[in-house]
Amino acid sequence: MDNNVKLQKAKEMVDKINDLPTIPIVATKVLELLDKPDCELDEVADMILTDQVLAARVIKIVNSPLYRSAHEIKSVKRALVFLGFRHIRELALTCSFIEAFQGKDGAFDVMTFWEHSFGVGIVAKIIAQRARYMDTEKAYLAGIIHDIGEVFLSYYYKKEFLQILEDIKGEPYKLVDAEQRFWGTDHSYIGYAIAQKWNFPNEYGEVIAYHHRPSEAVLDPTLVAIVNLADLFCSVRQLNYGGREWVSFNLADEPAWELLKQFAPHIAKLDIERFCYELDDRVPEVQDLVKSIFEGMIME
Amino acid sequence: MKLADKDFELFRDYIYNLCGIYFHTSKKYFLESRLARRLEDCGIKTHADYYKLLKSIPGGSQELKKLLDEITTNETCFFRNLPQLNALENKLLPEVVETKGKIGFRKLRIWSAASSSGEEAYTMAMILLEKRGSLLKDWIIEIIGTDINETVLGQAREGVYNSYSVRNTPDFYLKKYFKQESADKFILSPDVKKLVTFNHLNLYDDTKMIFMKSFDFIFCANVLIYFDTASKSKVVQHFYNNLQPYGYFFVGQSESLHGVNDNFKTVHFPGGFAYKK
Repeated sequence: MDNNVKLQKAKEMVDKINDLPTIPIVATKVLELLDKPDCELDEVADMILTDQVLAARVIKIVNSPLYRSAHEIKSVKRALVFLGFRHIRELALTCSFIEAFQGKDGAFDVMTFWEHSFGVGIVAKIIAQRARYMDTEKAYLAGIIHDIGEVFLSYYYKKEFLQILEDIKGEPYKLVDAEQRFWGTDHSYIGYAIAQKWNFPNEYGEVIAYHHRPSEAVLDPTLVAIVNLADLFCSVRQLNYGGREWVSFNLADEPAWELLKQFAPHIAKLDIERFCYELDDRVPEVQDLVKSIFEGMIME
Repeated sequence: MKLADKDFELFRDYIYNLCGIYFHTSKKYFLESRLARRLEDCGIKTHADYYKLLKSIPGGSQELKKLLDEITTNETCFFRNLPQLNALENKLLPEVVETKGKIGFRKLRIWSAASSSGEEAYTMAMILLEKRGSLLKDWIIEIIGTDINETVLGQAREGVYNSYSVRNTPDFYLKKYFKQESADKFILSPDVKKLVTFNHLNLYDDTKMIFMKSFDFIFCANVLIYFDTASKSKVVQHFYNNLQPYGYFFVGQSESLHGVNDNFKTVHFPGGFAYKK
């Protein structure tokens, strides 16, 4: 089946859902503001402040160990200054995305999902740094949102998804392949269909769509390759949806590794074993981060 | 004495670069307590001074060896490296069996290269015995354990273990393949024992190493860390040569072959990796 058929199928599955969360209205307004050429930071901060949940989440993420700001950032405005203009859009999107799927435990609980997502975000950022890819924050956010299709399937197609998880239990199959066999499409197409509905920026849509097929990426293949590799590493280092799928890979055979080496030839010398062991060390940090973002965030 | 984070990182890097074993952050307190013994023995007051002492001797020499003895627990046990065994059982073994089956070569050869008292080799034997009715029906299984130390080889051949050795053994295997004689005495079933042969071998001995041919799986856990880089490269090259083109080579948890052998490819699986030609 070609990609168009798979995407068509994914769109049908997404359209069928009547109560698909929409992006919170404030996030949409923030995005509109940011599109204006004369956009002022104060305006954006004020807009974010009208949604307390969004505001609190922005501050929590900026203060997470990941950003390593020297001082605690207490106001939205300072958070925006610290982040820089170009990242506000992504952060607003990520926060809305968290919001949209809040409490939507499906075939797996949402926390496990976020641990994988933030794990991939953090590892993508580390790989971006090592490869000297300029926009490391973009890699981080792209990592966080790469699997939105998965959380959608887990919640809205829970019964089928549980069946798939059962089928691959203890077997060396990737979730993405099992989804293809079952639905004729998979979470990467589903995620792309959602990203389009939500007007995610194109580069992010591309990461979602191609994070299992990085060679097909056009806009920013390096970014897609980084997220693909981060995803692979998380799958084998304890940030793997609680071990629900069994992934095995040989870096030398991964197209993403080739792409990354073309972008950054020095990466070929990376000590992969040590890299993996260091990732193990960061797992608790990821878990703490996810906990801190979600603790007390559930609005009654 | 509390090991400061920056000192922990110094020792971690030093040990990793010299021995190829990584100390996870979660093992900091372990390293701290073992370092305390070395500090006391050498009459040294601070971690920094002990680090200087190690660095001042080329290759760390005798003191490094003493430190390694402290930080590597020599004892082994059955089912020690579960992620590795899962990968082997679910993916790597079926893959190798399929490849060999296609060419009609129905024989598996497995080598536990530093077998100590036999736990690793016997663990493999038990796992493979369970496949006898299905995946490995009509297959010949050869498992060889080698070690430099005759005493541990004797223990391996005897096949009698204490409760500490079987602490990781799943109940299913414990009931099926061991006879418990007392609280601390477990006797391994003869069915398992007869699958494994134990031989004396020094991994440095080139003339003998070249005869260890055609293995599908080779295990060498927690031994290479004692070798200097040159010997390590030489020994690993032997493993490489003695491995079938579709076979896999395993080292211990937290070990690394980076910079030791560029020929091997690293295959990742949940919780670990294996090396492949």
